[in-house]
Amino acid sequence: MFMFLFLAASALISALLVVRSREIVHSVIALATCFISIAALYIMLSAEFVAIIQILVYVGAVVVVILFGIMLTKREIMESEKR
Amino acid sequence: MNLYTFCYGLIHWLVDLVNNLWFWLGGHLPGALGGFFTWAGDLAKSDLNISFFAILLEVLIMVIIALINVLNFIWIDRKWMGRMFDFYGPYYVGYRIGGWLQNLADGIKLFVKEIIVPKKADRLGFLLGPVIFVASSVAALSTIQFSPQFGVLTSGVDTGVPAGVLIAFAFFAIAPFSILVTGWSSNNKFTLIGGLRSAAQMMSYEIPMLLVVASVFLLSGSFSFVGVVGAQHSVWFFIPLFIGFLVFLTCIVAEVEIQPFDLAEAEAELVEGWTTELPGFRFGLFMMTSYMRGYIGGALVVTLFLGGWQGPSLIPAELWFLIKAYLVFLVIEWMRWSNMRVRIDQLLNIGWKRLMPLAVINLLIAVALKTMGWF
Repeated sequence: MFMFLFLAASALISALLVVRSREIVHSVIALATCFISIAALYIMLSAEFVAIIQILVYVGAVVVVILFGIMLTKREIMESEKR
Repeated sequence: MNLYTFCYGLIHWLVDLVNNLWFWLGGHLPGALGGFFTWAGDLAKSDLNISFFAILLEVLIMVIIALINVLNFIWIDRKWMGRMFDFYGPYYVGYRIGGWLQNLADGIKLFVKEIIVPKKADRLGFLLGPVIFVASSVAALSTIQFSPQFGVLTSGVDTGVPAGVLIAFAFFAIAPFSILVTGWSSNNKFTLIGGLRSAAQMMSYEIPMLLVVASVFLLSGSFSFVGVVGAQHSVWFFIPLFIGFLVFLTCIVAEVEIQPFDLAEAEAELVEGWTTELPGFRFGLFMMTSYMRGYIGGALVVTLFLGGWQGPSLIPAELWFLIKAYLVFLVIEWMRWSNMRVRIDQLLNIGWKRLMPLAVINLLIAVALKTMGWF
């Protein structure tokens, strides 16, 4: 029960940080945290295979593709949006 | 007796030792305080607590073994590079044992350096990136099994972790993310280019690698170390899947970024790649971890293709595993010091246009073998 609450809180808070953080790369770090806590939740539901594929595909590939997308855009655009 | 039962017994003995004092205090202290001590003693003695610490102890043992092997690997690397390039390599520090202590000296030198964070760096990413890199590599390491009895096990039964090989690859795949974050947050063009190159390389080489791994899983019908190695009882998989073996070896070299594919830290173009701004011991930790990834890669090659811990029973199984892993590492080093670095476009061409079709052909061969009922 305690473990579930901890993981659920971490997933929710990091999901909130994805939307709220000012630096866009920080939101990607929060997104990875969110995916990893969801994978841990899958393990708690004794669905190990889904958890492993979650880490392999989402943290290993999707997050990196998103990062690529961010880094191929101009930094100045992001900075002007911040203000 | 396997490693889990050994660790469980050890932790149980230690807890009993402390608990004697604890319960004695609980009996002599008044009221609620005494009750607290008895409660804490009962909690410490519970099965869940002891098995948790037993697994932690197992991971610690595996990491210590890996670190010793990493020291050996760095030493072999330097010595053999010296021999191939016609010089001696390190020999002053630890003169009697062939300069083996040079690594420790370098480690101490890096350890006492100051940790400098560049002024315009992004603090969160800069401090977190290398930590994720090291942590994911250690997590991948902890799934490696030397034999059915020796590895991070969760019960007294010698089956190992279910889907252990897949877990190793899952944690192996986290690295590009951390590299990209570190490269970006250092706020330096060399680190950014290095990080982007490294992530592109790892992403494109992961696909053929996982296709080859899928063919091995298809033949063995299992995701765990014990199952994969047990399926190689009659014939090691590098004979039926020879193409896959070569593809996997190439992909592992590219994944751990050593010489023919070390574009991410090409010294001539990018100063030190994505690690340029890393200070002191963070760089040392990265260096150590990249060799540790080489060790994990060698162990995975041995498990998937070279029969794991199987061999004549003159030598114990764990030693067979290590001997094979060292041989794979020597082959990788041989490739490393006798090949030139490829360009980035050549690298991606090799990955997508050569290795990818070869991996698919290998998968077809595996399917054919399976449908003919040979495995």
